Amino acid sequence: MVHRHRHASPPGHRGPDRRALLRGGLGLGAAAALAPALAGCGPSEADAPLSFWSFNGDAPQQEGQVQQQSRWYLDIIDDWNAANRQQVKAQYIPLAVYNNGSKLPTAFAAGDGPDLFVISPGDFLRYYNGGVLEDLTPHITAEARTDFLPNVLDTRSVGGRVYALPFEVEPIAMFYSVASMEAAGLSEADIPKTWDDLLDTGDKLRSAGQGGIALETVPGYYQNFVWYPLLWQTGGDVVTPGGKVVFDSPEAVKALGLWKDMVEAGISPRRNPAAGDAVTGFTQGLVSMWHRGIWTVKEMETSAPDFEYGVFRLPIPDGGTYVTSLGGWAFAANAQGRNPDAAARFCAEALASMSESSIDRVTEWSIGVKTDIPPRTSALERADASGGYDRPVMKAFREEIYAGGRSEPRFPPIVYKAVSDAIQSCMLAGGDPAVEAERAAEKIDGFMLTYEGAKLL
Amino acid sequence: MTVGEKAPEAAAPAPSAAPVGRSTGRGKAETRAAWLFLAPDLLGLLTFLGLPMVLSVALAFMRVDGFGTYEFVGLENFRRMLGDPQFYDSLRLTLVYLVLVVPLTFGASLGLAVLIQRRMPFVGVFRSAFFLPYSVSVVVVGLVWEFMLSDDVGVVGIALRAVGVRPPSWLGDPDFALFTVVGLCVWFWMGYYMIIFLAGLQDIPRDYYEAARLDGAGAWAVFRHITWPLLAPTSFFVLLTLTVAAVTGGFELILVLTNGGPSNGTSVLVFYIYQQAFTFGEFGYASALSAFLVLILLAWSMMLFALTRGGRFSHGRS
Repeated sequence: MVHRHRHASPPGHRGPDRRALLRGGLGLGAAAALAPALAGCGPSEADAPLSFWSFNGDAPQQEGQVQQQSRWYLDIIDDWNAANRQQVKAQYIPLAVYNNGSKLPTAFAAGDGPDLFVISPGDFLRYYNGGVLEDLTPHITAEARTDFLPNVLDTRSVGGRVYALPFEVEPIAMFYSVASMEAAGLSEADIPKTWDDLLDTGDKLRSAGQGGIALETVPGYYQNFVWYPLLWQTGGDVVTPGGKVVFDSPEAVKALGLWKDMVEAGISPRRNPAAGDAVTGFTQGLVSMWHRGIWTVKEMETSAPDFEYGVFRLPIPDGGTYVTSLGGWAFAANAQGRNPDAAARFCAEALASMSESSIDRVTEWSIGVKTDIPPRTSALERADASGGYDRPVMKAFREEIYAGGRSEPRFPPIVYKAVSDAIQSCMLAGGDPAVEAERAAEKIDGFMLTYEGAKLL
Repeated sequence: MTVGEKAPEAAAPAPSAAPVGRSTGRGKAETRAAWLFLAPDLLGLLTFLGLPMVLSVALAFMRVDGFGTYEFVGLENFRRMLGDPQFYDSLRLTLVYLVLVVPLTFGASLGLAVLIQRRMPFVGVFRSAFFLPYSVSVVVVGLVWEFMLSDDVGVVGIALRAVGVRPPSWLGDPDFALFTVVGLCVWFWMGYYMIIFLAGLQDIPRDYYEAARLDGAGAWAVFRHITWPLLAPTSFFVLLTLTVAAVTGGFELILVLTNGGPSNGTSVLVFYIYQQAFTFGEFGYASALSAFLVLILLAWSMMLFALTRGGRFSHGRS
């Protein structure tokens, strides 16, 4: 038999009496009462610098490219701080936390969002409909506004008012490894121009033992962003500007079918090669082509400057029209922040002023710090004049790929999720494009019946 | 004194002046001291666990836009939950995940603990090696495994191909992704629970084992009749904490490895809750889902308590 010890409570042991609890409660109350007084010992809230959250500014990493981006942000802040009583301070949030994390949503939910932050088109409607985007229009001159390239402000504007200012335009294209193409007996003349060509080329690369054609596989805003060109090239869309849901269409079915065919034929991997790192993917021969954005150019120049690669426009379907997605981040000011007016002025002076420093800054980001298309005509002219698009790859982006681009859509989360589920199901789970397009359209339709907010674009 | 002789009454201890249960001066001081020692932990629990839980339940009855608007909507979020097909998909995935992770981790950690409690060379090295994964950040673990399970160049795939087996896409095929996550969770947690089992095993008096061996009991009989029953409180603790850890803890790994994909194939309930709250800004709905999850865990814990008599199992009756 197993004997077990038991610890009996000692006689006289009691729980706390009411008086003890009262004393405890009073102690807590006193602590709570003291808190504001103690807080008052610090600098007053009005004097505190405005917080600027991004995944670049004040980054702790020492890597060259990251440091360059961080320096660009800090220079903007230094310039502002030198001229204004209301100071601004950068706060670095790692990209993984910023983009799909809980920090930003939690801060806003708690009424403690940053005064300034960067925002992507995918998130624009959620923040605009939540009433936290300050109108930047009063701080932008008419001349500066017309300096922005056509359409780049559309997805950041509501009713003609501007609520976020982009500092980059990032088109999507297809990158390829010259060595892989040559190993498969392919030349520049074989660069695919249509979806059928793409499937044929992928088949030849695979037969020659070369890496596949990488497509984004992780569900999320980014996957949708790089997939939308396929839908637009067929003439399809998710929602019309009038708010009618048109996703249940032969065009959407066709677009959903391309990535499904590529994965099922073994041309495209089910996972991002090298965990999504283009440099490793290309240099290690894991991938022959990659459907990615213009920022890849800087990545390759920084980490694999001797690697020979090229870029071409996304192939189009038979009878389709060339379109690509134009992404990019923007500065935004918190309308519920401590000094929304100063924050809005900060955004405008940094990115939408006709001053030399503002134009130079946008130019520098696009051809020096990163590789992008600047969102402003004046900056694009300066970038051209300084040879920023002379290299063949950048020239292709400037002259062929960017033309015909369409801004990344701003869809509310439920619309994004419905499209994402359709892409994922068809691409990776053997889903029927017709069934998935219909299912997604039903979800979006249901949502649109009760949606009250800014127009979906 | 001879056996059977009645002890003189004078020798009996004098009854305490204070009745049992009434505080004495010393008792009061001990109570105060106990509360003082407990207070920091209690305050922490109430502030960082109790209060958020209460607020979270309150949010479940509201529509929250994530930007300061709170609107009471009654049971609307719960009605939405009952009509949400992805909620049921997430629930089904969570059940499959739990049914695999909990018994497998339990069995693996107990097996390891039994094996490495023996005296053998390099036992410390083995203990450290099995515990090591748990001491590493789960994000790092996720990234390392992402490379090891990579479809083309992952070491796991290379090893399988070397012996003529064509590996699946471990994390890119919805038919495999959840099982891959289960395998990684078991690998990650088994070292930690092994240590807990090891502590439980070392609490069992050696005398019982020696007596059993003298009686000619084999290894299985020793485990079945001595180790297992005496390990019951530890097993109860492991089962309870492991279930909670599995429900909530697999989230980080899923976020790093698959982001809920492919095709929602790893979108377990906790991931779905996170997505609703922080990707879609649906804090009210996410709170309703969380409240439901807490209810399930509470029911499971109460059932476990009832079935095992609070961890004493059948041996607690005496």
